[in-house]
Amino acid sequence: MRIAWRGAELKLLLPILLLVPFGFAVTNVALSGALETGDLTMAVGYVALIAVAHVVLVASGHRGDQLVLPAVGVMGGIGMIMLNRLPQDLAGTRAFGLELGMASTQLLWFAVGIVAMLAIAVGLRDDGILRHYKYSWAAVGIALLAATMLFGYEVNGARLWIDLGPVSIQPGELLKIVLVIFIAGYLAETRTLLTSASMRIGFLSVPPLPYFLPMLVLFAAVMLIVVRLNDLGTALLFFGIFLTMLFVATGRRSYVLIGLILFVAGFYVAYQMFGHVHARVDVWLDPFADPLGAGFQPVRAIYALGRGGLFGEGLGQGLVTLGGSLTIPFVHTDFIFTAIAEELGLLGAFALLGFAAVLVFRGLRIAALARDDFGALLAVGLTASLGLQTLIIIGGNTKLIPLTGITLPFVSYGGSSVVASFIMIGLLLAISHRSRTAEEASES
Amino acid sequence: MIATNIRRLGLYLMLAFAVVSASAVWWQVIEADSLATRTDNPEVIAARRSLPRGTIFDASGQVLASSEVIDGLSRRTYFDPAFTHVLGYSSLRFGTTGIERAFEDILVGQTDPNPIRDLISDVLDRQPQPRDLTLTIDQRLQDFAAAQLGGDPGAVVAIDPRTGAVLALVSTPTFDATPISGDPDGAQGAMDALRNDPAEPLLSRARQGLYVPGSIMKVFTAAAALDAGVTTPDTTFDNQPREEREGFVVDGFAIREHDLGGIEPALWALSPALQVSSNIYFAHVGLELGQENFLEYARRFGFCAPMRIGPPDRGLSVGTSFVTEAVDGDCGPFRDNVELASAAFGQGRTAVTPVQMAMLAAAIAGDGVAPNPYVVKDVRAHSDDGSLSDQVLETLGSGGGTRVVGSAAAAATRQAMVDAVNGELGRLYAGQADVTLYGIGDARSAGKTGTAELGGEQAPHSWFIGFAPAEDDATPRIAIAVLVERGGSGSAGAAPIAGRVMAEWLRLTAGS
Repeated sequence: MRIAWRGAELKLLLPILLLVPFGFAVTNVALSGALETGDLTMAVGYVALIAVAHVVLVASGHRGDQLVLPAVGVMGGIGMIMLNRLPQDLAGTRAFGLELGMASTQLLWFAVGIVAMLAIAVGLRDDGILRHYKYSWAAVGIALLAATMLFGYEVNGARLWIDLGPVSIQPGELLKIVLVIFIAGYLAETRTLLTSASMRIGFLSVPPLPYFLPMLVLFAAVMLIVVRLNDLGTALLFFGIFLTMLFVATGRRSYVLIGLILFVAGFYVAYQMFGHVHARVDVWLDPFADPLGAGFQPVRAIYALGRGGLFGEGLGQGLVTLGGSLTIPFVHTDFIFTAIAEELGLLGAFALLGFAAVLVFRGLRIAALARDDFGALLAVGLTASLGLQTLIIIGGNTKLIPLTGITLPFVSYGGSSVVASFIMIGLLLAISHRSRTAEEASES
Repeated sequence: MIATNIRRLGLYLMLAFAVVSASAVWWQVIEADSLATRTDNPEVIAARRSLPRGTIFDASGQVLASSEVIDGLSRRTYFDPAFTHVLGYSSLRFGTTGIERAFEDILVGQTDPNPIRDLISDVLDRQPQPRDLTLTIDQRLQDFAAAQLGGDPGAVVAIDPRTGAVLALVSTPTFDATPISGDPDGAQGAMDALRNDPAEPLLSRARQGLYVPGSIMKVFTAAAALDAGVTTPDTTFDNQPREEREGFVVDGFAIREHDLGGIEPALWALSPALQVSSNIYFAHVGLELGQENFLEYARRFGFCAPMRIGPPDRGLSVGTSFVTEAVDGDCGPFRDNVELASAAFGQGRTAVTPVQMAMLAAAIAGDGVAPNPYVVKDVRAHSDDGSLSDQVLETLGSGGGTRVVGSAAAAATRQAMVDAVNGELGRLYAGQADVTLYGIGDARSAGKTGTAELGGEQAPHSWFIGFAPAEDDATPRIAIAVLVERGGSGSAGAAPIAGRVMAEWLRLTAGS
């Protein structure tokens, strides 16, 4: 293993060294009214974690993409600044004799996530284990779902959580990765068949069903269960990932069109069948109809966006609580974007969106450069997962689409989300590394 | 080939990012200003927590609500629960309702009623100056009316038909709004208790309660048919005496008379038909009027659309009253003539607010002109010692009104309503609304009882609408609607309350 310097990554990471501690200090000045930096342990801890990640990649001779880590680092840094600024009793851990506030808990999960990312990025030298055992991965996914159905408990009407003693996990986050691996494996194998032998019904070309059916059945089962669990955000996300991967594998817009038609039809059925879907759509269409009741969250989010304006209220100066209660419920998870847009303004919001876009386009670049179809489709699926999740939750915050309870990757509070997102980055880096080394091997 | 597809995907995702970014621009730049001034904006609530708020007085200068700033927090105190459903509340936790909401910017002083001064304040970025309000309602009449309803759920709405000034606007049961406006933790408990109260004290019955009107609707049917020229005060229907006994068959469905209490059916014209409240007679009148005319006149009288007490941009909201099934907030078409005939005597799908029915009475009392109702008389400078300032900044209540039926139709309807209270047959039903019973010797009252059948074993809602004084040469000073939920017949429940309240107002305004 030779050391491989990662100059671009290092240069891009340097600003984070300043950004995160500076953000913590500014917040402290605004909140305390005194010209003091406050406790910077957590900021330093975060910067150290990112630095360790860089050093490990360098030391292991990793040749993967150098823009991914900086983009993730900035998004996570903005998230940490925000979570440190919010009331610390919103969430936290009390386990193993430790009592941690929200930001400390999040930092701990970042540590776990970065370790997982590095283990995969460095350790996964052969993707055969992913490619060849795709049905096993599908089984793992089904098992995760079954576990959620059997042992899960409900939060806000959706059954998403499994209690594991000291921590609770959201299996849906891991399921996402497993599903992407399965679909990538399946599509890589049947891609040519799916493209060449399509049938036509009217102006639509329809996929050849025999090749398509196993995946469709499995996917439909997953969707049904997820909808049964009332996790609409995840259902929407899975569907988006599936269509994206299908599009890239076959290049057929008509498949996507059929998928969208199916989705609209399915959504209409859900709208008619499930009261809580119905209510959510009505609130989306006119949250101001009941601003203190059903429309409370979206209305408060919209006001926060308005307060932020172009330049923001400034770190630590947003209206987080009013009369002792949160102005926006779930501000640390579903509405973290709104809180950032309030304090950092449209410019801050654009910056966050920009970094998410950088991550997405680097992910697509990794896919385009991948050695084989499986690697490309896997990278596309992972990238689509991160990108679509970002778009869905931010679009929900700004009332572009109905609000669903999913996290903003790397920014929202939540261990499962942070760890799953870092695992995806680890996989992307591994794919990137393999294509680079293969390229160099063929050159020499 | 996959690489091509990935490039296309990149393009689509870039578009998606652009759309999401645009949605942030929408709220953070384009809509930001209009969001900033909305009353339920938490920032506005936060700012108002610490701002003093103007005092609200009744028509004679009694303090109904006042504010103090204690420890930097503005605390509202309400002095008379009879006014809760008029004033609403200004709560740190639950926002504002009622007049507190409609006049929020004036009470807090963020808007000057004078547009030029308002502009100057804006330019100079002046500290907001709270302003006081006086109502058109006299506390003595409001309390008197509330006492008449006592513990029964119901509503009393009284309007001066000459000006549209609201004289009483009572909803029972009511509640004390002070705890809701106080410290947020206590407010939550107080609000929870009110929300869980089966008597629904939070419902403003006078403005938002929708009730089957029953026979008081016959006043509308009579006036509309007279004005449309399809009937005269002397119109009779040949088969009506027989149908009183056997039922009036409309499209195969038999409309039956209510229990006439031993009165022998005869060939009745308008006045006796209104006195005994004949359903058969008014079913005929309704059919003569026809579906289109019925809806047309209903809209003129204010049914089928939301109403406001006060100027349209700043008033107390009133729920929409319906004469047919509600369709998208409007009155839908009649299903058939059975529904039309039923609506003509206030059954069918009719559902009305007490305010709307008071407006019906006011339009008849006002010679066919429905006044523009208002409840805030003027805006005054704020005085810190809680006294009524002489400095009137703006006077509200434009006067005027909308002609809904001609003078002749109004006069004939009015005469029939006078008979309904004072006539030989009418006395048996609405005699308790006669103001002479309550110490007013020289005046007559006019009106109509209503008994809204709800079906099943439930006791009917008891209604009365009317006005006084109503003798030939007098100009009515008060038009009234009284509703007692499940109060039994109109003659027993609502009529005596209406009689007492009208008599009290004539006494309070004697000589004026």
